[in-house]
Amino acid sequence: MDIMLVVALVIALALFFDFTNGFHDTANAMATPIATGALKPKVAVAIAAVLNLVGAFLSTEVAKTISGGLIREGDGGVRITPVLVLAGLIGAIVWNLVTWLLGLPSSSSHALFGGLIGAVMVGAGFGAIDGGVLVSKILIPAVLAPLTAGFVSFIATRIAYTITKKRERDNFKIGQVFTSSLVSLAHGTNDAQKTMGVITLTLIAAGLQPTGSGPELWVIVACALAIAIGTYTGGWRIIRTLGKGITDIEPAQGFAAEVATTATILASTNLGFALSTTQVASGSVIGTGVGRKGASVRWRTAGRIALGWLITLPASAVVGAAAAFVAGLGLWGVVLDVVLAAAAILVIFVRSRRSHVDHRNLHLPVPGKFVRPKKRKTVAVR
Amino acid sequence: MMVNWQAFIVVVVAAIVAACLLVTLFSTALRVGDGAAPWRRLVAVSLYVLCGLVVCFGLYLIVPALHGG
Repeated sequence: MDIMLVVALVIALALFFDFTNGFHDTANAMATPIATGALKPKVAVAIAAVLNLVGAFLSTEVAKTISGGLIREGDGGVRITPVLVLAGLIGAIVWNLVTWLLGLPSSSSHALFGGLIGAVMVGAGFGAIDGGVLVSKILIPAVLAPLTAGFVSFIATRIAYTITKKRERDNFKIGQVFTSSLVSLAHGTNDAQKTMGVITLTLIAAGLQPTGSGPELWVIVACALAIAIGTYTGGWRIIRTLGKGITDIEPAQGFAAEVATTATILASTNLGFALSTTQVASGSVIGTGVGRKGASVRWRTAGRIALGWLITLPASAVVGAAAAFVAGLGLWGVVLDVVLAAAAILVIFVRSRRSHVDHRNLHLPVPGKFVRPKKRKTVAVR
Repeated sequence: MMVNWQAFIVVVVAAIVAACLLVTLFSTALRVGDGAAPWRRLVAVSLYVLCGLVVCFGLYLIVPALHGG
C-alpha cells in the first residue's frame, strides 16, 4: 500500500511539474509576438496551449533519454525508487516556481534533471549518476544550444533586414504568428515528453510496468493536458522579460528569432537530444538583438539569465537532495516532504501577488503600425 | 565521455539552412509584394506558398508517424 501512495504522489507531482513547465515556457514562443503586438496576449497563449497539446502526441524520442542513460540502472547500478523520483520532482517544482517569481527564463528541463540527480545522489550515492551522460547529453548541449540558436538568429535577422525595406517590415507580424505557432508545436514535441518519461520510469520502478516499455496512453494524455493548461495560464512575468527585458523587438526580429528557435529545436529533437527550449529561445532573442543594426541588448539582463541557467541544475539538485534526505526517514518523511513542498509553493504564490503581472499590465505596444518610416520635416505646431 | 559531434554538426547545418531558407523566402515575398503591379502580387503569393511547403516538408521529416519512421 505504501508504494501505491508514493506512486500516486509522484504522478500528481509530475503533472504539477508539467503544469509549471507549461507556463514557464509559454514565453519561448509567444513573448516576441506579444511584444510586437502581432498577437493579443490571451490569443497567443490559447494558440500556444492548443499546439503544445498537439505536439505532445507527435513524438516520443525524448522520453527515452530520461528513463535510459542518465541514471545507471540494473546490474551494478541502482534501483531508482518512486520515493527518489518524488524527491527529485519536488526539487524541480520548487526551483521552477522560484525562477518564475523572479521572471527568469530558466530551463525546466535542467530543473527536472537537477532535482533527479540531487535526489539520486543522496538516496543512492554519487556513483549512481553516469557522469559521461550528464556532460555529453546535458551540460554540453546546454552550452551549445543557445550559442547555435543565437548564431542562426543573427544570420536570419541580417538577411531579413537586408532584403526588406523599412515600410515592408511591419508585415513580418503575420509571419510571426506562424513561426510562433511552430515554436509551440516544437515545444510540445520536446517538453511534455520529459514528464512522460519520469512517470513511466516510476511505474517501471514500482513494478507496474515492464522494463523498457514506453509511456502508456493515459500518461501521454495526462501530460499533454497538464502542459497545455499550464501554457494557457501564461507565465506573464517571463513573457515580459523575454519580450522586453533583453532588447526591444521589432516584428522582423521576432520572426527571425522564432524561425531560428524552431529550426534548432526541431533539428535536435529529431536526434533525441533533450534540449532546453528556453535556452534556445533566449539565445535566439539575444542573437536577433545583436543582428539588427542600432539595436541594443541589455547585457545585464542577459547576464542574469545566463547566471540563472548556470545555477538551475545545482540549485534544484540541492532541493532534490534535501527532499530525498527527508523522504529517507520513512513514509512520514515522504508525507512531510509533500507538506513542506506545498507550503513552499503557497509562500511563493502569495509573494507573487504583491507584484502581480498578468495580460493586462504587460505594457503592451499601441496597436497599429509598429515600424514607422521617417517623417518629413513638416510638423504642425499648435 | 563521447559527444556525438557528427550529430551536432548535422543539427547546426540543418538549423542554419532551414532558418535562412525560410527567412529569405518570406523576406523576398515581402519585398516583391511591395507595389501595385500584378506580377508582384503573383510572385509574392507563390513565395508565401513556397514557405508553407518548406514548413510542411520539415514537419514531414520530423514527425515519425508521417514518414513511417
